[in-house]
Amino acid sequence: MITRTLSHSVLALIVFIWVVPFVALVSTSLRSETEAKTAGFWTAFTPTELGHRFSTHDKGDDTEILTMAGNILARLNNEASGFPVTGDVQSILIKTRIPDPENPEKTKLVRKLVPAGEVMGVRGGDFVFQTNGDFTWTFEQPATPKPKNLDVFINQNPVFGTDAYIEVLFDNKNVPNALISSFIVTIPATIIPITIAAFAAYAFAWMQFPGRDWLFVIVVSLMVVPTQLAFLPILQGFSGIASWATSMNQWLTDCELTDTCQVASKSFASLWITHTAFGLPLAIYLLRNYIVGLPKELLQSARVDGASHLQIFTKIIIPLSVPALASFSIFQFLWVWNDLIVALYIGPNNADDLVFPIRLQKQLGTFKDQLHLLNASAVISMIVPVLVFLSMQRYFIRGLLAGSVKGG
Amino acid sequence: MRSLKLAIASNSLAIFLTIVFLLPITAIVAFVVTGPLDDAMANFGLWMHRAFEWSFPEMNTIERFSKIGFAIRSVIIAVGISFMYFGITNWLNMSLARHRERDAVGRQSRIVEAIQPWIFVGPTLVLLLLFLLVPALSTLGLSFQESDGTPSLRNYAFLWDRDALGYLQFRLAMRNSLLWLILVPTVCISFGLLIAVLADSVRWGVVAKTFIFIPLAISFVGAAVIWRNIFAGGGIEPLQTINGVTPSYQIGLMKSLLGHTAEYNEPLYSLKFWGNFFLMWILVWVQTGFAMVIFSAALRGVPEDTIEAATIDGANPFQMFFRIKLPQIYSTVLVVWTTLVILVLKVFDIPYALSANDDDKLLLATMMENARNNWSIGGDNVDNLFAAIAVMLMLTVVPNMIFNGWRIRREQKELGH
Repeated sequence: MITRTLSHSVLALIVFIWVVPFVALVSTSLRSETEAKTAGFWTAFTPTELGHRFSTHDKGDDTEILTMAGNILARLNNEASGFPVTGDVQSILIKTRIPDPENPEKTKLVRKLVPAGEVMGVRGGDFVFQTNGDFTWTFEQPATPKPKNLDVFINQNPVFGTDAYIEVLFDNKNVPNALISSFIVTIPATIIPITIAAFAAYAFAWMQFPGRDWLFVIVVSLMVVPTQLAFLPILQGFSGIASWATSMNQWLTDCELTDTCQVASKSFASLWITHTAFGLPLAIYLLRNYIVGLPKELLQSARVDGASHLQIFTKIIIPLSVPALASFSIFQFLWVWNDLIVALYIGPNNADDLVFPIRLQKQLGTFKDQLHLLNASAVISMIVPVLVFLSMQRYFIRGLLAGSVKGG
Repeated sequence: MRSLKLAIASNSLAIFLTIVFLLPITAIVAFVVTGPLDDAMANFGLWMHRAFEWSFPEMNTIERFSKIGFAIRSVIIAVGISFMYFGITNWLNMSLARHRERDAVGRQSRIVEAIQPWIFVGPTLVLLLLFLLVPALSTLGLSFQESDGTPSLRNYAFLWDRDALGYLQFRLAMRNSLLWLILVPTVCISFGLLIAVLADSVRWGVVAKTFIFIPLAISFVGAAVIWRNIFAGGGIEPLQTINGVTPSYQIGLMKSLLGHTAEYNEPLYSLKFWGNFFLMWILVWVQTGFAMVIFSAALRGVPEDTIEAATIDGANPFQMFFRIKLPQIYSTVLVVWTTLVILVLKVFDIPYALSANDDDKLLLATMMENARNNWSIGGDNVDNLFAAIAVMLMLTVVPNMIFNGWRIRREQKELGH
């Protein structure tokens, strides 16, 4: 009984530790800029005292008054925002002059917090506010005071909104561009290797040709070569091709007039090919192991019936290998979508074509004071892989098990 | 027989040449011809923009939609070219053989059968040769050269020469790699085992496992952003005011729990030396799910009768785990361990995203990037230095590869192959 309680609570604790960061991510992305950077995410769910600045009235309002009445919360919510401020007004921080205890007959400037209900002097008038935000500003003689900006602390009720998402998705062009670029990179970089690998896996499994077995060993052993080792020569190769293409462009077209001859060496195409090459060893390993396990009689009877290898491959092998194809394509999809280093070295480097991980890495710097935007952008970058992952979890686990329990 | 070999060779050459010229030209022509589609897409976007009265600038709509247009056509062309390769080569193979041996069906099929395997594995072999094998060897060559190509050991001087570029960085990177290497796999495996065992014993285990598992789908940079909310403080200069008020709260949960005030806003992962452990934790958070899934499956494979026998003998849960289950999944633990070790040695994204230029947090992969971007004093030699560090990275992985190979061969022998 004790062990049962213990295992429940230990597991609950671990799950809690694993989930808290997600709560932090999502709740921060749903808060206003001020809240996100002044109070931790765990204060988002309970009333929290936060600072705001409001002005007593609009500029250019010159009516002569004796008493001005208004509401602080109404003034704050004047500007349309997705995060209406509600709650108890606690205090106002005011700069005021008081008699200096050390220097008689002089005054000194102090900042002090004035609670609700207490009178304070603002521009020669008496300013009083209540917890619900109502304030009155009275003068002895009719006056036309200029608007005064005051810093107010409000015990603010929780409020969530999607402003950050709207801002990064529509007002800012980086995130939509990153999203489209990531799709441009990921879809071909998933489909091409799986096509190529499926043919190769079939050949390695069921076709006869000289050197088959040791070629397969070489292909699979390339799986462990760190890709960093290959970056520089690949890059040099692509710049060679690009400069050649540039001169071809110059020679064949009238690009000199528009100054568009330069062919970029780092492009989506270079990223597709590189990701394809890097993904092939694992793909061939997984698919070949699967295809070898299919019943051999199938192949033999199809051969007897006069089917060609291409027919056997497209009509029999592909339909039967769907689980293995699915599990590799999830691997490759997640790997390419989440990849930073290959895209950094070989992918396009103009600002509009950056893939999501690079954009997010840059936003860690540019949005360091706009945490709501940073977190919203991170959420958007995660939606696609997490959805793919959850919907195809079964195949992913199958692939993991095939890849590591059997060896490799 | 002689003529058959000749036929095979000439047919292969014909197919090869056709592919080498046809595919790139088709790709370029396809891109040029479909170019106007982007404008069509942009016009469609503009029409949508006006029809639905979207509030953001029209220019944005035009740019986004023409990019979507580019995305669609480039995806279709790229995928189409790769399908086209297999279609065209097989068709060529068949029709060339038929053309050459009009009367002998047997010889026809022998030519086709001889060429076909190479059509199937050709792209793989070419890609791996050009993008992994040759580059890896050429990096090795580069690392032993000066920038002008003369042979030299100067790039490796950071190994022994105190004054060489990267001497200190290399030591820090090795120290950190060693820490990562010991801690991350150990913690991942311990947590993974613990969760796998616990989750199997409670009813809501599947839900728990899903939660632990999800971080595997997230990019390392995304994980860095997530944990920034926990480990980083303030995020703003303490004296800088927001809406006129100095922030009075600590934003980072962990920092708050440690009692750091808002004025002390150094992120935990930037702390000297100890910061490394917070970076490691992020990787542990991501990778524990992997260990857990594998162990969960392996534990389910433990034979029931051994467990029953232990239960009858009155084993308590701890004895059951350490004496009965763990020894039986020992080889799986080793596999997970080697996989994690290779992953850790190559880890790049997390330190790059959170502490890129901090020598104290260097790992070999980030050191490569730093060498390329920041060590401008290396002048022309920077690429060769980069290559040398890449070779060092390769060397750290080698013991693991050898171990892995030895293990696979032993397994194969045990299976009787």
